[in-house]
Amino acid sequence: MTTKNSVSIINGKMLADSVTKLNPTYLAKKNPVMFTVEMGFFIVFAIALIPSTNSEFVNESRIFYLESSIILIVTVWFATFSESLSEAQAKAKVDSLKNLEKEVMARKLISGYDLIKKDQELVSINDIPTEKMVTSSSLKMGDKVLVRAGEIIPRDGIITAGKAFIDESMMTGESNPVFKEKDDPVLGGTKVTNDRLEIEITAEAGKSFLDEMVGLIESATRPKTQNEIALTLLLAGLSLIFVIVIGTMLFLGYFLGYRMDISVLIALLVALMPTTIGGLLPAIGVSGINRLARDNIVVKSGKGIEAAGDCDVLILDKTGTITEGTRRAIEFVPMTNFTEEEVGQVAFAASFNDSTHEGKSIIELAEQKSFDPQFMEEILASRPIEFSSETRFSGIEFVAKKKMNITRTSDDKISKRLSDLEVSNQQIRILKGSVDSMLKIVTSVNEAELRWKSQEISKHGGTPLVVAINDEAIGLVSLKDNLKENICEKLEEVKVSGINTIMITGDNYLTAQVIAKEANVDQIMAEAKPTDKLNRVIEEQNKGHIVGMIGDGTNDAPALAKADVGLAMNRGTAAAREAANMVDLDSDPSKILKVVKLGKQLLMTRGAITTFSIANDIAKYFAILPAMFMRENPKMGLLNIMQLHNPETAVLSTLIFNALVIPLLIPISLKGVKYKPEAPQKTFLKNMLIYGFGGIVFPFAGIKVIDIILSLVMK
Amino acid sequence: MDIIQLALVIIVTLGFALLFGKYLARMIVYEVRPLEKTLGRVENGFYKIIGIDKYEQMTWKQYLYALLLTNGIAAGFVFAVFMLQNYMPLNPMPAFSGDLAFMQAASFVTNTDLQHYAGDQQLSLLSQMVSLIFVMFVAPASGIAAAFAFIRGFIRKNFGLGNFYVDFTRIIITLLLPVAFFSAILLIAMGSPQTMEPSITTGTIEGKSQTMVTGPVASLESIKQLGSNGGGYYGANSAHPFENPTGVSNIFETFLMLVIPFSFPIAYAHLLGKGRGVSILAAMVIGFGVMLILGLFHESGPSGVETRFGSFGTVLFNVASIATNTGALNSSLLGMNHDAIISLFVGMFVQAIPGADGTGMMTMIVYIILTLFIVGLMVGKTPEFMSMKINPKDIKLAVLVFLAHPALILIPTVVAYTTGSAESLFDKSTPLSFTQILYEFTSAAANNGSDYLGTAANTPFWNWSTGLVMLIGRYLPIGLMLAIAGSFTMKDRKEIVEPIKTQGPVFVGILVVVTFILTALTFFPVLAMGPFSI
Repeated sequence: MTTKNSVSIINGKMLADSVTKLNPTYLAKKNPVMFTVEMGFFIVFAIALIPSTNSEFVNESRIFYLESSIILIVTVWFATFSESLSEAQAKAKVDSLKNLEKEVMARKLISGYDLIKKDQELVSINDIPTEKMVTSSSLKMGDKVLVRAGEIIPRDGIITAGKAFIDESMMTGESNPVFKEKDDPVLGGTKVTNDRLEIEITAEAGKSFLDEMVGLIESATRPKTQNEIALTLLLAGLSLIFVIVIGTMLFLGYFLGYRMDISVLIALLVALMPTTIGGLLPAIGVSGINRLARDNIVVKSGKGIEAAGDCDVLILDKTGTITEGTRRAIEFVPMTNFTEEEVGQVAFAASFNDSTHEGKSIIELAEQKSFDPQFMEEILASRPIEFSSETRFSGIEFVAKKKMNITRTSDDKISKRLSDLEVSNQQIRILKGSVDSMLKIVTSVNEAELRWKSQEISKHGGTPLVVAINDEAIGLVSLKDNLKENICEKLEEVKVSGINTIMITGDNYLTAQVIAKEANVDQIMAEAKPTDKLNRVIEEQNKGHIVGMIGDGTNDAPALAKADVGLAMNRGTAAAREAANMVDLDSDPSKILKVVKLGKQLLMTRGAITTFSIANDIAKYFAILPAMFMRENPKMGLLNIMQLHNPETAVLSTLIFNALVIPLLIPISLKGVKYKPEAPQKTFLKNMLIYGFGGIVFPFAGIKVIDIILSLVMK
Repeated sequence: MDIIQLALVIIVTLGFALLFGKYLARMIVYEVRPLEKTLGRVENGFYKIIGIDKYEQMTWKQYLYALLLTNGIAAGFVFAVFMLQNYMPLNPMPAFSGDLAFMQAASFVTNTDLQHYAGDQQLSLLSQMVSLIFVMFVAPASGIAAAFAFIRGFIRKNFGLGNFYVDFTRIIITLLLPVAFFSAILLIAMGSPQTMEPSITTGTIEGKSQTMVTGPVASLESIKQLGSNGGGYYGANSAHPFENPTGVSNIFETFLMLVIPFSFPIAYAHLLGKGRGVSILAAMVIGFGVMLILGLFHESGPSGVETRFGSFGTVLFNVASIATNTGALNSSLLGMNHDAIISLFVGMFVQAIPGADGTGMMTMIVYIILTLFIVGLMVGKTPEFMSMKINPKDIKLAVLVFLAHPALILIPTVVAYTTGSAESLFDKSTPLSFTQILYEFTSAAANNGSDYLGTAANTPFWNWSTGLVMLIGRYLPIGLMLAIAGSFTMKDRKEIVEPIKTQGPVFVGILVVVTFILTALTFFPVLAMGPFSI
């Protein structure tokens, strides 16, 4: 959230809310530290108002009481303000979502409608009168709708045809329209900015992202996480200690002949209590869910975020997370007796009817190397052999003709071989497939050589495909999956922050190992079956690790449920989304890294502000104790190392400093402490220096500056 | 000379701590000790007599119950002896009043040994031997046993913390008794009396005769120091030439006080990782060093120095005595410089540098848990100790341990003032008189036992109040800390490194700083009003 956005959130309603939160009964329940401060305010304020209060413990000027009481209540208000601000951020999101949730009209494509497709471009859809205007709430899962430029997508779905830019700013805060094409998920409530899309609805009414988000953010009973509970206990304990210390001081000081003043003691108590972290704790909690929502991740419980910070093992799917998931041909490897060009020609032919990414990439590679076959006519006339799960190969079959016109050129061995085959009246099939499946049909091959060469390809991270003409293997094509952009750097960051990564893949061990090395993955699980994921999660947890994983398939669901941090892809199955504790709406698996980072930041922010809060106390003692005791006991002057103007300004400047620190730290609590992936010990030292040592030094300077200003003003 | 004294104490203490630490580690995990067969037979005899199953494992609650029961019986026995010593054999003395007997029973059984009487004038030989020396074994053995159970909580999973009766018996028979026995012989050699004669009469150089109280001083002295007890045979405690005859005995007794507390981190190192144990040892040594430097900052006045030991020997002994919560002093507190007094207060506030036998180590681990939680979140992970997550329950217990101490010191001090009991001792409220009253309750709450007031505090108010403070100050933290061990023993243990390693110079530095800051924040105002303003 940018500063501009946060400013726009500050409005009358939010301010009114922060004032409502000053209600003592609310604070007593929610924030004991701030409740104590408010009680202090009531006491001091009463002393200021009640005329001629005469007591041993009241001996400062009326103005002083008034001033201190104002500072006290402002301190409380700063805390409620920060809470209201972060809630307002969440609420702003809910409101914008609720607006979108309004009923819209949708163009439902009624059944029987057959889309004319060519390369996923929609052609003249306007002319077909089979769309019907319906209300968005009447849409069911599986319905197809057409959305044109300027219209709002009625519910979550997947693009089945067309491509367009979509404005998702209302949902994600991303101001630039996002380009989406076939198979990309879209969110209900977002707007198509150009062109038109055919969308299949994937969510039931009331179960879309929107509804989930609204439900989540609105649920006021956000349960506290274990860490928050422990921290609250620690803060309450510290506050109680200070109550005892200050409470007993009142009597002891009195018996020792000091002029004890209640308001000064209250000031000291408020200064010592961990008001900074106490005031900001609720805001930090809400900000976690907010910030993930901004990244398009729906969190089902705060627990998941916290576990993310502790996560030290990530189980990542190779395909989609580490690699693009689209394998491309990168090399033709000939068998002895053949050349690279010949393999290229045959591979081209075998892939001619293959419309998958892999098939296309083979043709592209062949064209790029100008390995065009000389027998185009036959190829064009051929029949396709489709890939089937039994045969596990695909290719083409030449249609027998009376007259063949394969050009015989002396240097083109393939053409020669084809025409030889033709002459002998054999059926010609040009095939490609995996090594194992092809070995079943090719007989004329040196199997050892083929195996050796395919292993070589595996060793370099490729997947080998064998191309053959009838029973003769010509050579191999090496297909390789590209690593995702920046994945190496991202995983390196993960690694230095002490997280182990495990890559799961169905590939063989050799291939997996190469990719793991290239991508910086620590461990691999090769030739994995879907059930292996769950076993691995359990195995790692038994070793005491906190496991994070991503998944989208139904068979990922048990593992997602078992994992400490389960991130499901929005385009995945409902079972997967149900099982996981967060869902990524962009279906970008590498987002899990972001979740981990945010979880860590959240814990760091709490720790940093706690440490800062406690470290601040030292300076506060040095400001207030001399102010309390110096009049009667000159020796206490030795403690007056800050040389504050007079006792009155000393107390007031400490209180003002204490109050001001809260709004100063609001940006940090909402945005989180700066996090750089590095060794935990290093992060610790750095934060210790900034928030620990800085927390000791900063208030000395701050209080002194405020004191100087006060002394000038009060003159 | 001072340097040599200090070096000697450090080298001998650490040298023996290495030896004792290994031995303690063996006792904690029931490994074979030297003479195991013979010792085993003796111990088994005891188990049979009192009818316990030595293989029975106790939960933290059962362990605490057994500890309380044993201590309760011991305290009851001591109470009876004090009340009835006028009917008892040897040299009968007048019985104690009820409140004094209660206070003294509580004082000895809680390892405090705060004395509102003068032993040489008010206790019979029998009382000194049967009750004092006996309970001086019970109290430290209970503390050490609790620490054994506590440490086991971090080693074992889903298993009991050991058996209190077994630990208790083994600690007395195979640790305290033999060491105390040899030490007593050495003390006799150094000039401490050990006799059944209640007094001797000799001629002075002026030709007159003088009667001096004697008795089994050396045997009391050795366990007094070894067991962080600190209750003197004489009212003057270790300033008395029979209790601490020479400069050599001064060094030897300093060593006796320090050796077991400093052995615990070594035992810890053997059981839970060398680095971790050594780091705790380092933190304790640094804390102790800070106290010592503070104590030596200004030369104490002439009345604060015993000429037998010199200024350095006096401060070293007293700092060691306070730091280990033994509480025996070899000089008058009134003569000490106020910086030195502040240093003694710090030792009693922290209670863990190195603290009393057993409980000092436990307290130090509570500080580690608190430190880890406060600063540990800054790494971006849930804080862990020994690769186990620190959960809200642990924090609650640790905070209560930390909270109990100031509450037990400050609230009774205020009560003393509001009831007028403070004024009844002093005509005027001055920083000095305030320091003395604050010191009394600090000493009681920390189970230390040193004091300014002495027999002057033998009034019902002071006896009851300090008695209660000692009891709560002893058993509440032990109970809470055993509960922490009980919580940790249920936790999943990981084979992986913690986010913040509890070892290495950085951790030691942070632990020391956080511990001192937390203590300072709690006690800064009273220190400023008290000793600082003297």
